[in-house]
Parts: sequence; C-alpha cells; structure tokens
Amino acid sequence: MKALVIKKLKKSYGDFLALKGIDLEVEEGEVFALLGPNGAGKTTLIRILAEGLGYDSGEILVFGEPLTKGTARLIGYAPQESVAYDLLTVEENLHFYADLYDAPRERVRKLISEFSLPAKKKARELSGGFKRRLNLAIALLYEPRLLILDEPSAGLDVPSRRELWSLIRKLREEGRTILLATHYMEEAEALADRVAIINEGRIIAVGTPDELKSLAAEESVIHVEGILKGTELVREEFPRTIEREGVLRIGVEEAKTALPRVVELLVEAGSEIRTIRVEEPTLEDVFLKLTGRGLE
Amino acid sequence: MKARAIKAIIGKDLRETRREKMTIFWIFVFPLMWITLLGGIWGGHSPPITVDLGVVYFNETAAFTAQDVVNIMENVTMNNVHVFNIARYPNESSGVDAVRTGRIDALLVFPRGFGENVSSGLQARVYVYFDRSDPQNYQIVSGVIKGFFSEFEKEMSERKLNITLSYMEKYIPANLAGNFTIDDFRRYLIGLANPLELEEREVRGESPSAIQFYVTSFIGIQFLFATMLMIGSGTLEEIEHGTLRRIAASPATAWDFLAGKMLSTFIVITVSILIGIGYAKLVFGETVFPSALGWLMIFLAAVFSMSLGLAIAMGTRSIKATNAIVNLISMPLLFLAGIVIPASILPEWAKPIANYFPLGTALKSLRLLELYHRPASEILPSIAWVAGSAFGMLLIAVVLYNWAIKRLG
Ligand SMILES: Nc1ncnc2c1ncn2[C@@H]1O[C@H](COP(=O)(O)OP(=O)(O)O)[C@@H](O)[C@H]1O
Ligand SMILES: [Mg+2]
Repeated sequence: MKALVIKKLKKSYGDFLALKGIDLEVEEGEVFALLGPNGAGKTTLIRILAEGLGYDSGEILVFGEPLTKGTARLIGYAPQESVAYDLLTVEENLHFYADLYDAPRERVRKLISEFSLPAKKKARELSGGFKRRLNLAIALLYEPRLLILDEPSAGLDVPSRRELWSLIRKLREEGRTILLATHYMEEAEALADRVAIINEGRIIAVGTPDELKSLAAEESVIHVEGILKGTELVREEFPRTIEREGVLRIGVEEAKTALPRVVELLVEAGSEIRTIRVEEPTLEDVFLKLTGRGLE
Repeated sequence: MKARAIKAIIGKDLRETRREKMTIFWIFVFPLMWITLLGGIWGGHSPPITVDLGVVYFNETAAFTAQDVVNIMENVTMNNVHVFNIARYPNESSGVDAVRTGRIDALLVFPRGFGENVSSGLQARVYVYFDRSDPQNYQIVSGVIKGFFSEFEKEMSERKLNITLSYMEKYIPANLAGNFTIDDFRRYLIGLANPLELEEREVRGESPSAIQFYVTSFIGIQFLFATMLMIGSGTLEEIEHGTLRRIAASPATAWDFLAGKMLSTFIVITVSILIGIGYAKLVFGETVFPSALGWLMIFLAAVFSMSLGLAIAMGTRSIKATNAIVNLISMPLLFLAGIVIPASILPEWAKPIANYFPLGTALKSLRLLELYHRPASEILPSIAWVAGSAFGMLLIAVVLYNWAIKRLG
C-alpha cells in the first residue's frame, strides 16, 4: 500500500507559486527524503500534509484516504522548530501532546526512556539536540503510520546529528514510513531509501541515491582544498563548480583532461593547493548538474 | 470540541502561568498593593475641617467686646477638634497681607466701637477678608465662618429678645395689648428674629467603604488589563512560537485551543480576584463577596474583555502593538468608565462611557448589587446589555481569530 500519494499539487502564497505541481508517491515502510535548497518548497509541502495548510489544487491520499482532519492521527509530525513549551518539563510537554492526541499516558514514559530524555528538565534548559529529540518523541506519541520530519538535524553539531540519525535509523528498522525534508545531502544519503530532488517548487528527479547518482555517472568530481585563489576563472571554464568553506568541487566530463587545467588555473592565480583528488559524484553533484547551482 | 484536549490546554496554561514571575506579580502582588495603597490613601475618614483665622480688634471697656467673640471662637470644637486657629494681628493691613500670602485662610476685622454697639443693642459690623484664589477652600472657609456667625447671631437675638420681653412684662400694662398675651408676643418676636429653624436629623446611608470600593475597582482593572493582555499575548506567543500550528496539526482544533485559552484566563483572573477579596477581608475586615448574580456579571465582563483582547491581538498580530493598544484604551477607561473613581463624580460627557461601555456597566451594576444591596431586578437591563455586547465582541474576536489562523505561518 502507498503511504502517501500526491498528484499535481499546487500552492501559492499570494502571487507567488511556491509549489508548481508536485507528483509524489511514498511506499509504506520506506524512508523518503525531500532534498532541496532553502526556499525550494519542502516546508510548504510538509505543512500542507501535516498542518492542514490550504492548497490551490491537486490531490492527496494518506494510506488511501483523502487528507482531512481525520487523517491527522495517521501522521506523526516534527516541525523544524521546537514545539515544546519552555516553562514546562519534558514530561509535562509530552503529557500535553499526548492529551491532544488522546494517546495513552504510558507512551510518555516509554518514549522518555527510549529517547533517553531528561524527564524533569524544563524544555528551555535542553540543548538543541535534545529539543529535536523531544520534537521527535512528540511526533511518536500516538503511534503514527507515517512520520513527517522537517529538517530533523538542521543547526545541530556533528555528534548530535549522528545521534539523531541513529534514532531515525532505528525507527526505520521498526518499519515506520518516514518522509523527511532536508537540505543536507549527507542526511539524505545517510537515511533515505529514496530521494526526491526538489527545486523552486518542482520535483526534478526521484530515485534511490544510487539511481540518482547514475544520472551524473558520466561525470567525475574534482575536489580541491587549500588557500584558493582564482576560483572564478575555474568557474568560467567549468560552470558546475561550487565553493564552500575552502573546498572547491568541480563537476567535469573527463577528469583526465580537466585536472591539469584546473591546477594550472589555480596555481597561476596564486593558490596554495593542499589536497586534490577525483571523487565519485554525490547527491549534491547531481543537484548541481540538474540545476546548475549548489544546495546551500 | 474535545474535553481532554481542552483540559490539557487549560492545565498547560495554568502551569506556565504559575512559573512565570511577571504574571505572579500581576495576579498575586498587584491586588494586595492596589487595595492597600488606594484603600489606605482614601480609606481613612476625612479629617475634621480647621480654619486658620486672623483677627484684628481694639481694646474696649464695654460689657461685651470683640475680645469676647474671639474667645468664644477659640473654644468652638467639632469632634473634639478646635475649628478656629486664631492669630491676632495689630492692624488690618498686616492681617490682609497674611491672607494674601496664605498664612491664614481668612481675616476678621472688628472695627472700633464694635463692643459699644453690641452692648447697647445696636447693629454691629464685622469685616471679613477671604482668599478667593482657591474656590474650593474659599467655599469651606466662608461656610465655616458664616456658619459660626449665623449661630452666634441667633444666640444674640435670643438674648436680646429675652431682655426685650422682660421689659415688656414689666412696663406694658396688661390691657394695652388687647387680645394678645405676652406669650403671643414672645412667639411673634421669636419668629421675627429667627423665622426659620433648621433641624438636623441623621441618616446613615449604605455607603461602601473605600476598601470595598477599591476591591471592586481592582476587579475592573483585572478585566481591563490582565484579561485582555493575557489572552492576547498568550495567543500571539503560541502563533509566533509555532505551537498553535502544532496544536492545529493534532486532532484538536483551533476552537479547542480558544476554549482552553479563555477558560484558563478566566480561572487565573478568578484566582486573582479571590485573592483581592480575601485580602480585604483578612487585613481590613471588609467583606465583598459577590452573589451568584455578581459572579455572572463578572463572567460576562470577562468574556467581553477577553474577546476584546483577542480581537486586538488578532487584528494587529503583534504582541507589542497589542500591549500598546490595550494600554492606550485602558488608561483613560480606568477613569472614564468609572472603574477607579466613582461614576458620580465624572464630568457629564464621560457619564455615557461609564454607563454604556460594557465594563463600566458591569462594574456599576456589580457595585449596585454588592455594595448598595439593590434588588436584582434593578440591574437586569445592565446584565442583558453586558451579555449582548460580550456575545457580539466574542463573534468579532472569533471571526478575526479564524482569519488569523487561516494565514498562520
Ligand atoms: N507564509 C508564507 N508566505 C509567503 N511566502 C512563503 C510563506 N512560506 C514560505 N514562503 C515562500 O515559499 C517558498 C518555499 O518556502 P519553504 O516551503 O519554506 O521552503 P523550504 O522549506 O524548502 O526552505 C519560499 O520562497 C518562501 O519564501
Ligand atoms: Mg523549510
């Protein structure tokens, strides 16, 4: 059975068309990632599914039923921002949401131990990582069949992010269906069975991470680190170039001929190259190839 | 509507309120401060009036002199307090100077020959200077002095009358008077000298004490400020924080949220009111405990107030603007709606506000009902008016709320 079917979904904010006709199917039991840069429309799509945000046209089925207030209990939802009340403890927050969903109170105790949450701590005293976990626990209070997570690890440091990922992996092993939105390609690669790449309100590719990477298969990526100068010259000659935090990634058709040229351009401009290597493409490179720009 | 969800929202709100230091101040400390300060300032009985009086008179050797009048004045007391503080001045100009510079309230000048005239039974003159720059003080001072002299005149005319009568008895032959007896003359002369006798009798009106008055005005303040702000900023905070969206994503509805929010606000305000009432009872021994009808009025006023607060918040969609607007309309209303001062002393143009602005109506009826013990039938029209406007305001608020949650985010 399909957990989620979306057909020709359109949504505008005033004159601005945020979703330009989304078609999507999520299978029961899979982890499905929506990967796209900020402003792509991920949160808009999720809010339509989980918050009942109105849309212009299209069709949405949740486990075969049209999306209504009645399907709310089928969906577990963790928005990007913390929804905990700062002055309440972790346990009180969970009790509050359990009451809203008419969920049994025993679930609260179980989730607190499963997620190793500090029950008596006030929400405002929690670290970013624990706030995310609490959001996730709230989404799981009522045993939803479809879990929707918006940017589950955005803003977390690397260790907290890895812990959160292992929690999500555990949920997948329990057989839950998960739809998650992210702009981190690592997150999509680490967690998702299938990925939809979304850009400017459109889905531009869907598939397993490997299938997607094969879209860019003919291509290699040159990865350069160091004190780099003259990167704009490189981009002129190789348009699929992204630069971030002192790292240059250059998508090229054939590394054998491109590599000497890249080195030449950078060194002539006065760069100090620390490392340079040729890599397999990642999902970000796929995105770059499809859209001509990076994810962030 | 889902009872468990509404109960959860109320419980959550009450917990948050309990842990918020500022609300604790408004709910617990403010009533005590308000009642103590205002009840204390206006509460004591007004002090008896005293007049600082300058006198100018001359030494005389007559039987009854200005000196004697001044001595009598010095001994006039009211509730054991001397009414006149007398300062003697050597001449008229130094006395007038003292009036002008405010050292005394008035100056009495007994001209030369005063004692002579009085003692011979002729008319005597007294001059009095008042400072009229402060009309209220002038009224009080001139009232006290004129009152003294009218009593004093009465006393004098009675004495003169008795002297006259004793002469008449002695010297007028009985048959000269025809049908009139001496007694008829006496009564006629008394009527001549003192044609009207004002007799004072006392009634104790049901006037509430200052503490009682300020307990009810504190109830009004909680409606004007606390209720409006609590519901307004409480709802906006949940919109800004994203929790209202999260609640709307659950099977609970925005209506459950609204019902919970209103009930929790009402509970908090009721607790605050009870604290004020209990404090007035414990510390000042003054009881103001509303009857069932009084509580109905309080409930209706609360619905009006919460709806107004919610309407403002949903209209502005900003906590800062809501606070500003609530303060802007509340500050003048505190006075104009007769909440902190009695409606009876308001200027004419403000009286309709006190009578018809629903919180003014509610408070006025509450006072009539609880402090003046008027029958319920007298305030039924007011209840109908407050109920109607509360319902109307609730509708407006609900429409704006509905509009706001449709465009959440
Ligand atoms: N409430 C809103 N009103 C107007 N525009 C919005 C609103 N929410 C989002 N948008 C716009 O819609 C586009 C998609 O936003 P969003 O769905 O938040 O993207 P993402 O989650 O992928 O970063 C963005 O251009 C954003 O500015
Ligand atoms: Mg987003």
